[in-house]
Amino acid sequence: MEELQNKLQTELDKLKDVGKQYNNAVSQRQVLDGQLHENMGVKQELELLKSDGEVYKMIGPVLVKQELNEAKQNVCKRIDYITAELKRMDDLISTLDAEQDQQREKLAKLQQQFQLQQTKAAKS
Amino acid sequence: MSSKKEPELQQIELIKLSLPNLTQLKKQLDQEISLFQESMQTLKIAQTKYSDSQEALKKISPEVKDTRIMVPLTGSMFVRGTFKDTKRVLVDVGTGYYLKIGMDDARDFFKRKVAFVTEQMEKIQKLGMERSKAREAVMAVMEAKIAAQINSQKTVAAT
Repeated sequence: MEELQNKLQTELDKLKDVGKQYNNAVSQRQVLDGQLHENMGVKQELELLKSDGEVYKMIGPVLVKQELNEAKQNVCKRIDYITAELKRMDDLISTLDAEQDQQREKLAKLQQQFQLQQTKAAKS
Repeated sequence: MSSKKEPELQQIELIKLSLPNLTQLKKQLDQEISLFQESMQTLKIAQTKYSDSQEALKKISPEVKDTRIMVPLTGSMFVRGTFKDTKRVLVDVGTGYYLKIGMDDARDFFKRKVAFVTEQMEKIQKLGMERSKAREAVMAVMEAKIAAQINSQKTVAAT
């Protein structure tokens, strides 16, 4: 009886842990998504920039003038990196999701066992 | 599209769901609704920022060249300055990039941004309304279920 209860507790803790990881991954994904959108917007603006326009990049407290092509390349690189990160996060989220489901199932089974034993104990 | 069908689908399933499941669903919907409200607020702030910039831009015309102004360094400290360039402005386009562009382009930029933000707000509002409706439906079914449960308990007690 006690053994089962202990097992139940450890499994429950595991589920909580996975849940935490899952939430973390989701919020990280959201941040990445926002960054991707921002970079897409910058890319669009850079594409629209006329030849007499100038590009500056804020580095710390100073604005540094940059070549348009260089800026475009940098933004494209950022977008590639973020897209890769997003994919990685998506994979992580789906594995965590599966893990969570598995853990829930395990827990449900244990709970059933626990209840069964309890009723048995009550009868005897 | 697919989102329009969703409420109907949920309506059918709701009656079959158990009370704990319904509670979970309601919790999820509540979370989504508050998330949408938060996004709405952020978007509203962005919208006012862009339209403020749009307004400020209107004040800069070739006539104000060499006009003396006070430039705020902080909220409470100013230095004297004069307008030198009334043809171009520096615009923050995000991720630390600033573009020096002509007045017309800047105007277009802010117009575009305001339109984009407004569009997003409309989208979120629509989604929020959908969720609110779904939430109401869930609440209605939950109440009906609870009422039925109480009723059945009463009849059991009566017999």
